[in-house]
Amino acid sequence: MKQVLEGSHAVAEAVRLARTQVISAYPITPQTHIVERLSEYCADSTLAARFLRVESEHSALAALIGAATCGVRTFTATSSQGLALMHELLHWASAARLPIVMANVNRAMAPGWNIWADQTDSLAQRDTGWIQLYCEHSQEVLDTTIQAFRLAEWLNLPVMVNLDAFFLSHTYEPVDLPKQNVVDRFLPPYQPRFQLDTEYPCAFNQLAPPNIYMEMRHNIQTAMDEGLAFFDQVEDEFEDIFGRRYGSLEAVHCKDAEVILITSGTVTSTSRQVLTKLRKKGEKVGLLKIKLFRPFPLKAIRELTASAKKVAVVDRNFSFGASGIFAQEIRAALCNHPGHPLVYGYVAGLGGRDVTTAVVEEIYRLTKGNDMPQQESIWVGLHEVDHAIGQS
Amino acid sequence: MASQQPLTTRSPLIIPCSYLTTEGNKTGSWRFLRPQYEEKTSPCSSACPSGEDIARIQMLTAQGSFKEAWETILMENPFPGVCGRVCYHPCELQCNRREFDETIAIHTIERFLADTASRYELKFGLDKLPEKKQKVAVIGSGPSGLAAAYFLALLGYQSDVFEALPEPGGVLRWGIPHYRLPPNILNEEVSRLQDFGVRIHCSKPVSRKFLKEAKNNYDAIFLGCGHSQSLPLSIPGEDLPGVKNGLDFLKKIRRGDIPALRGTVAVIGGGNTAIDAARSAVRLGSKVILVYRRRQQDMPAFAEEVEMALEEGIEIRELETPVEIESQKKDLVVTLQKMRVAQEDPQGRARIKPEGKKRKKIRVQHLLIAVGSSAAEDWYDLPGKKRGVIKLNNCVLVHRSREPALVYGGDLTASIKSVVHAVASGKEAAMALDVLFREGPGTIESTLKACLVGIGPSLSMEIYLGGPRVKRSHSIVSYDNLNTDYFRFAPAISQPRLLREERLQSFAEINLKIGASLAIRESERCFNCGICNQCDNCQLFCPEIAVIRDQNPQGRHINYEYCKGCGLCVVECPRNAMALEEERS
Amino acid sequence: MQLDNLEREYMCPGHVGCPGCGAAIAMRFVLKALGEKTIMIIPACCWSIIAGPYPQSTLKIPVLHTAFETGGAVASGVRAAEDIKGDSETTVVTWAGDGGTFDIGFQALSGAVERNENFIYFCYDNEAYMNTGVQRSSSTPYGAWTTTTPGQQWKRLRKKNIVEALVAHRIAYAATASIAFPEDLIRKVTKAKSITGARFIHIFSSCPTGWGMPSEMSIKIARMAVQTNIFPLYEVEEGIRYTINFTPKGYLVNEYFRLQGRFKHLNEKDLAHIQEMVDEDWNLLLRKAGSRPEIS
Repeated sequence: MKQVLEGSHAVAEAVRLARTQVISAYPITPQTHIVERLSEYCADSTLAARFLRVESEHSALAALIGAATCGVRTFTATSSQGLALMHELLHWASAARLPIVMANVNRAMAPGWNIWADQTDSLAQRDTGWIQLYCEHSQEVLDTTIQAFRLAEWLNLPVMVNLDAFFLSHTYEPVDLPKQNVVDRFLPPYQPRFQLDTEYPCAFNQLAPPNIYMEMRHNIQTAMDEGLAFFDQVEDEFEDIFGRRYGSLEAVHCKDAEVILITSGTVTSTSRQVLTKLRKKGEKVGLLKIKLFRPFPLKAIRELTASAKKVAVVDRNFSFGASGIFAQEIRAALCNHPGHPLVYGYVAGLGGRDVTTAVVEEIYRLTKGNDMPQQESIWVGLHEVDHAIGQS
Repeated sequence: MASQQPLTTRSPLIIPCSYLTTEGNKTGSWRFLRPQYEEKTSPCSSACPSGEDIARIQMLTAQGSFKEAWETILMENPFPGVCGRVCYHPCELQCNRREFDETIAIHTIERFLADTASRYELKFGLDKLPEKKQKVAVIGSGPSGLAAAYFLALLGYQSDVFEALPEPGGVLRWGIPHYRLPPNILNEEVSRLQDFGVRIHCSKPVSRKFLKEAKNNYDAIFLGCGHSQSLPLSIPGEDLPGVKNGLDFLKKIRRGDIPALRGTVAVIGGGNTAIDAARSAVRLGSKVILVYRRRQQDMPAFAEEVEMALEEGIEIRELETPVEIESQKKDLVVTLQKMRVAQEDPQGRARIKPEGKKRKKIRVQHLLIAVGSSAAEDWYDLPGKKRGVIKLNNCVLVHRSREPALVYGGDLTASIKSVVHAVASGKEAAMALDVLFREGPGTIESTLKACLVGIGPSLSMEIYLGGPRVKRSHSIVSYDNLNTDYFRFAPAISQPRLLREERLQSFAEINLKIGASLAIRESERCFNCGICNQCDNCQLFCPEIAVIRDQNPQGRHINYEYCKGCGLCVVECPRNAMALEEERS
Repeated sequence: MQLDNLEREYMCPGHVGCPGCGAAIAMRFVLKALGEKTIMIIPACCWSIIAGPYPQSTLKIPVLHTAFETGGAVASGVRAAEDIKGDSETTVVTWAGDGGTFDIGFQALSGAVERNENFIYFCYDNEAYMNTGVQRSSSTPYGAWTTTTPGQQWKRLRKKNIVEALVAHRIAYAATASIAFPEDLIRKVTKAKSITGARFIHIFSSCPTGWGMPSEMSIKIARMAVQTNIFPLYEVEEGIRYTINFTPKGYLVNEYFRLQGRFKHLNEKDLAHIQEMVDEDWNLLLRKAGSRPEIS
């Protein structure tokens, strides 16, 4: 059944359909529509979950750490500053192997206060051991959120579903809303591999001395590795039931492309338009959408970009003192691959600035026109600034 | 349905999750101090001349185990009924509880236990040691002689007690008035001894010749003939008809020879016999003046007795001494010399001198002299220092080859003439003879020393026999050793007594019985210094769960595999029944 | 109360607490009252270590070790999950030190209490960050030396009154307790267990290592803290009804301070000042309990 939904509501519907048992959240713009909708569902018993209206994002995740250790299905949503406040517990949740699902609405970090789209918040958490997924549109948000529970519960790793602030969270799009019984087929009740149980009392998360800590960490990496294959199988099954699939990567016209644009999130949709336009002009351009950021589908990226001469990575995020974060990851993925394409990094759309078709076309033009990348990342569309302290 | 089956194999989880307890950590290796159960000696039991295990007696009483408590007394003293009445209870003076609020009424509890045993006709279950071949003659059936015979019986020896008078008991029967010790109490205690195997031969005075013949029949002779000979005043008029001695006076009352006494009686002296005579005279209907040459506080009589005498209307004239007695018609006129305190001796007792020629005359109808007594026969006198003479704390033993050993005991050797000292003397004699018979004279002193209660001089038969008390340390628990946080203030019970008016009417016993609930309440006040009463604090507060309850008499043991030696159990033991010592690696 | 009824142990020997550890004793008592149907959340504190390293646990109940500041929140989540699972029998408790309660965990605790989460929060208070090596916390009392208040920089600020802070939330039940008064402690835990909603029990737990005193003095010192009014025993129901459980015998604070190395720098004047503060707090408490203040 098609409905016109905000991206935020797509998240909420997925959480409802997943029969989530404990939700804990703290409000932050632009995540609020997710938790408001879920609060309504809990209030009117549409969803039989306990909703904890905690006093901070830190406590939101802490509460879920408690709940998930009891073996129930859990969800939270946050954004930006809130995610940063959770940072400590992001590590905790993954190392405790808790299948918590979180929606993160990608928003810029302050200061200055900025509530608009920017991926630096979630990418700054890339080393916390969470599976990270980036969505392009509301249908994908809904589908990915449902899939996230399967991923999390099978791998015993937490999953972060990312969606761009406003461009996705507050934008209404038609969404095919699946029926509960169909979702139930895809997502059976959670079968925990461990839980707090007074019949079989154990202590969890106690002191882990050097003689065991590394093995525990390696075990997480093993799960991440298994996650790459498992993601594909989840998608296969999802496709069988719902007729849709997205892939950890989506390659458009990459086989014969000389330049491949690499994008994530809503910039992908804009880039699709540019791609159509440029292809019509006969440009040998391709598009690679990265959906699964952790675990990073390294091998697939190598294969899909193997025939191109250049890749142009569009980053709505930045690592200060280095470059765009996706660009870093792509460079790292390709460096040990003989004959790999040149990697051109572009930073665009930080703090919610529009990444228009013109911006993407400019990126293509710059990539095509330069034989070698001029710098690690080119900041596209920077304005002249009228006033700076110490300006003479 | 694909979703029902695993899509891919997945690796086992390695997570921080426990599957063992901490019991594998033998934290006992951390320990450098070692707590242990170490019972110690209570100051009361050390102060008791007969070494009664008072802390334990109180504990058993508090638990309602009256028979066991009574038998615990009997292990050290055959006369709980007598001593529960007439003992001057030096134990109470040393009670640690005095520093907290008031002493435990140990004396009252002892009497309660004896009364209870009597009321329920309890049979005591002490076992005698196997019978030995040696036999002992005991001269005198006073407290020391009967105690000697009793403890000898316990140790497996037969003895014959020879009593000059027609009934046994000595001073207990003839010297202590009924209002302090009713005769049925004495009779009961004596017959219990007889049931235990003590043979008493009454109306059998013993002569010097007997000693010579004894060697054919006996291996030892215990002389417990007491001081039955009153000392004279050695003043003019002492022989006048109205002048009598206190001991004879008391003896006659016991025989029923003096139904009443009218007029005014002067009693000369400040000892227990003087007080007993004075109070008896009051009961016979006379007015009594007690004349003492020192001050009231210097009287050798027990203070409690003096106080009651005053309550009963006896007039005490202190610092006066008779110098002449004259007869005027039917009266006696006594001239009293005023004395003054010249100085005090180290014990604070007054040394006195006549105060010039200050004299005064009083007119009385009777005069009782009770200024002390001595042995009735000169052959009772102690031998001097010579070979074969061993001077012990409460008796003197003379061992001679081819002759029966001779033990001088009771009042003959006692520095303090009290019933409980007499018991101590009889017990010491029995132990000394047992050592002599078994090992010869050489080890008597060292063996007895090992049986001291605390630092002594009291001795314990239980220790001598190797009972549980052996394990107790000789160190005496002081108030500072206790953890008094576990005790609540509670006043001592007061001994119920006959009213003054009731007392004066008859020789009825003054001190009344107390009930079991009162006795339990009182004995619950006892700190039980140095002994474990199973309060379980050690177990309760152990942070290591290293105090384990078990079936052994201690009720618990320390698991040194885990005990870290923090010492909490020792400090939180309210009664100092534990000790912390350096760990020997 | 009969302690004999609480024979069962929920703690194993071999834990790695310091000798004489008050926190270990507190745990032992509390678990006896709570029983086996208990889930415990332990944020970072001495007990994170005492309980034993992987793969051990010294406790015979399920335990969730969590981050320092999360005691209130994790318990909220556990309670929610148990409720959803239909388990209303299990008691959910948090077991935190003073740092995790008074300082870093105060927000999560306050939030959980404001939400009236159905759990018991235990703070075993050893008055500093002991696990990290005796640093001052907002529970460290006036006058104390710690490694971060050394020498003449000893703490000249009052200890935070955590119970009053929670009473201000109108918490269903709040109480102070001491390892030196096990009957009172166990009674309070039993009572707390029977109440629904947020409950808080503040347990004074001596620390021989951090306080500079012999290990065997742990209980004695804890008892003296109560006897001197430094740590009064009381309970508050519904944030209104105060009951004082122990009326002290009017001991002065000096002896308590004299026995501990952390206070050895204090002079007579300092002690007099501390006595004034203790008296003032006690009188304030008496007023709240509806008693007439004592004139000191």
